[in-house]
Parts: sequence; C-alpha cells; structure tokens
Amino acid sequence: MTGAARAEPVAVLDAVVKRFRGETALDGLSLRVEQGEAVALLGPNGAGKTTALSLLVGLRRPDAGVVRLFGRDPRDRAARARLGLTPQASGFPATLRVDEIVRLVARHFSDPEPAGALLGRFGLGALARRQTGGLSGGEQRRLALALAFVGRPTAVVLDEPTGFLDVEARRLAWAGLRDYVDAGGTLLLTSHHLDEVEALARRVVVLSAGRVVAEDHVPAIRARAGLARITLACDPGVVLPGVVRSEPSGSGIVLFAVDPAPVLQALVAGQHSLAGLEVGRARLEEAVIALTAADGDGGGPG
Amino acid sequence: MRQVACPRRLTATRPGANLQPAALAFAYLRAETVELARHPGFVVPTLGFPALFFLLFGRSVAPGQAAAVTAGYAAFAVFGVVFFQFGVGIAQERALPWQLYLRVLPVAPWQRFAGRLGSAVLFAAAAALAVIGVALGCGGVSIGVTGWLRLAAALTVGALPFGLLGIALGYLLSPRAALPLANLIYFGLAYLGGLWTGPEGLHGVARRLSPLMPTRSWNDLVAGAVGAGAWRLGSLAALAGWGAAFALVARFAYRRDEARHFR
Repeated sequence: MTGAARAEPVAVLDAVVKRFRGETALDGLSLRVEQGEAVALLGPNGAGKTTALSLLVGLRRPDAGVVRLFGRDPRDRAARARLGLTPQASGFPATLRVDEIVRLVARHFSDPEPAGALLGRFGLGALARRQTGGLSGGEQRRLALALAFVGRPTAVVLDEPTGFLDVEARRLAWAGLRDYVDAGGTLLLTSHHLDEVEALARRVVVLSAGRVVAEDHVPAIRARAGLARITLACDPGVVLPGVVRSEPSGSGIVLFAVDPAPVLQALVAGQHSLAGLEVGRARLEEAVIALTAADGDGGGPG
Repeated sequence: MRQVACPRRLTATRPGANLQPAALAFAYLRAETVELARHPGFVVPTLGFPALFFLLFGRSVAPGQAAAVTAGYAAFAVFGVVFFQFGVGIAQERALPWQLYLRVLPVAPWQRFAGRLGSAVLFAAAAALAVIGVALGCGGVSIGVTGWLRLAAALTVGALPFGLLGIALGYLLSPRAALPLANLIYFGLAYLGGLWTGPEGLHGVARRLSPLMPTRSWNDLVAGAVGAGAWRLGSLAALAGWGAAFALVARFAYRRDEARHFR
C-alpha cells in the first residue's frame, strides 16, 4: 500500500445487510467515519449497534454490502493495526497482573505507549503490580479503556466506554478521550448516556431496526432531545396540542412533547382521565426516534 | 469542520508491518504460562495427579516392568495436559470476552496458537518429569540416556493425536457437556490403553478392547522406547492414523464453530 497523504475514511459501511437465523440485524446500514471525527452510535437494544461494531472490527462479515476499515477488509489484521479497542471489562485473565496485560497487548503494535505512562494517564499507576482478579469493577473498566490506547491508535472504537465508572473517574476518562480527539484521533462509540454523548461526540448516528434513522451534530440533537414523556393509563383518543409522537403502551399510551404543559392543560380542559399519569424526560433514543418519525410524517398536524 | 491532522498518521505508514512475529508468539506463550502457573487449581492436579497415581497404583503393578510402567504414567501425564489445557481448553475458551478481544487485535492465528502450544509443551514436560522423578525416587527404574531420549520422542509423537482429539471434542460439544464427557473419555482411554496397569494388568473386556485404543498404541510406543520390547512400526502407524482421523474431526468441528460464531 502506498503512503498517500490523502486521508481515507477510517470506517465505511455501505448498504450492509446482516441476518442471524432469519432475523435481520442490519438492514442496509450505511455509515462513514472520517479521520478526526467523534461519532456516537445510539439506538435501543437490538437496533444493530453491536452487530455494526462486530463487523467493523472484523469479528463477523456482512451478508451483503461492503465494510472497510482504513480502506481494507477489517478481517485483514493489517487493517486493525491502527485501531484501538476495549475488551469487556469483566473478562481479564484473573491471575495476570495489570502491567503484564498491558505489555501483552503492547506487543501487537509497532510503537506502543510505555506501560508506565499509559497506566499513569488512566489513574492505574499504583495498581500496575496487582492481579486483575483483585481489581474493583471500576478499576477493571479503566484498564479496559486504557488498553484501547496502548498502540497509539489512529482510531478507537468504544462500546459503552464509561458506563460503570463513578462520577470522578468518568470526568477523568472523558477528559482523556477529548484530548485524544483534539489531537486528531478518531472516536466511534456507543452509549446509552446522553451526558456521555454530549461530552465526547460531535456527531450522532441513531440506529433503529438495523438502519440509520437520524444523523446530526450534537447541538442539533441536543435541541431535539429535550422532549417530555407523558404516560397515561387510558388513551384519550384525541389529537393533543404539542404532541410530536405517541405510542401505545399496554392499554394506555405514551406521548412525547417538547413542552408538557399545553398537553396537560388540554387533557384537563377536555376532562380526559388522568389515571396513571407520569411526566418525565424522554431518554435520548426515545426522543430522537420520536422526532425522526415526526419528521418523516412531513410535519403534518401540529 | 476543519480536520485536525492526526499526528499518528505520519509515523504509521506501515499498517500491519510485521513486528517480530516470533516475539509476539513468545509473549503469548509467556502470558499463558504465567497465568496458569499462578492457578493452584491448575498446577496441583496437572503436576500432582499423575505422579500421585503412580505412587498409589503404578508402583505395585507389574514388578520387573518398572521402566515400562513409568513410561505409561508419563504418557498419562502428557495426555492430561495436551487433552485438557491445550485441546478442550482452546475450544472452550474461544467465546470468552478476553479471547474475543485477542481475536480482534492485530495478531495472526498461528501466533496465538504457537503460544498456546508452547505453554502446553512446558506443562506436559513438567508433568512427565514429576512422574519420572517419583519413579526414580521409588527406585527400580534404570533407563539409559538413549532410552530417555527415545521416551521424549515417543511422548511428543503421541501427544499430537490427543491434543487434536481434545480440540475436536471442545469444538463439537457445548461448554456444559464438554468437561464431564472429556473426563470420561480421558479416564476411559487411559485405563483401556493400559497406561495405569500395563497391558498385562488388564483383564476381561478391557483386555480385549485395549488393542483397539489409541492410548494402547501410545503405551506400546513409550514402553518400546524405554526398552520393554522393540519399537514397533505398527504402533506408530496406528497413532498416525488416529492423528489423521482426529485432525479431520477437529477441522470439521472448528469450521462449523467458526461459521456459527464469526460468520
């Protein structure tokens, strides 16, 4: 391969289809991550995030479509030489020490970061000689995160990177990841946490049922994500002001609205039942999917 | 948005550039060995059981055949390591999160395999030496230098088919079923092959079945190596046949498993 200066995209998925025993996990998914981007993949469980990542790192191959990592088939290990990944934090060989794990992983790369410096950066310096079986859940999580950076990667792929860290450790990890992106690194992550996505990603891609249903920069998503979620035990059966989407839930209904006040006023004015009323904030994915569906209706009533 | 030039891009112009392939394989060997060596639950049975079996049962059987019986127990020790640690283990651990992570690192399958193999060789040698040490301690065993070398060769040759058998079983069976069934096969083959008693110590059905067992061929080979009977080409040919058969099953099972998990 030539050392052309032209920056190829880090990751490309083009019209990728993946089925498992008749179930369609990815249904024509297309996604592109350029060098230096920070992208978050969002979506409900079963939307295809994990499948998409497993294709991208070469664990599986698509039934149709094309997957490229640094312009190569990710199943070619040369494609993964500049990629950083985290293992599942629960699965370290229990009797190996933290520094032994780091050195083993470092062996895979041509110019690894020295173990001491890396562990220091992730607040693990004092634990270098500890066997991984004796680490706390948070410490294992930090080690898993650190391993993604051992090889000084051009891009890292992180699945729920800081979900189980305490607040302090999370802020530290976020700072480190932001430094990495600021220095030109490429970040692709999945997360369920709105705050994590806001802290780390510049672009958000929302998956649902194996397809991309929304794609936008974070400020735009943030503006759209401030939805209220109103649950009622009985469906009032009328169009209510300000509701951007509704979905049945058991015998009741869930309403999504930018502002819950007019919805509640209309319910009271119309003397509809308020049985089972709950008002809360929609989760990020719910909000994004609700808005996407509303957009797809061509901005109909309301 | 302006794209920041990635500092790494300038230096990383050799994606997948082969570092030192052997060094990575050695790193795997080392990690695997250290990991296992720190597990008392692995080390004690692996190194201790065959030697203990020898003390309990091997010493008293077949007086005058001390060398052959020692060789049989050494084969039993090697059998346990290559069958469980190397064979069944390699297949059983494939779906563990850590193994999945190693799988996506830039490493060739042969490097991980070589590390595993090297570690199995070390533990197999240690287990066989434990048996031999106990046997020498008990006295009555006299094997010349040539005999020891021939024994090492015979143990190595026989280890291959049983490692392959372990891999085949590990990939064929569900994790839950694998260990009990593997134990049954392991002890059954060891017994019927006469590894504990010498072929003369078997009676009835076991005596009639014994010549059909791959472990019996191995037993004949190691006994021949230490001087009890000549090298027989037949044992070697039988082991080669078993090895080829187990290799075919292992390959089939491995491919089926790959298709299922990493399609």
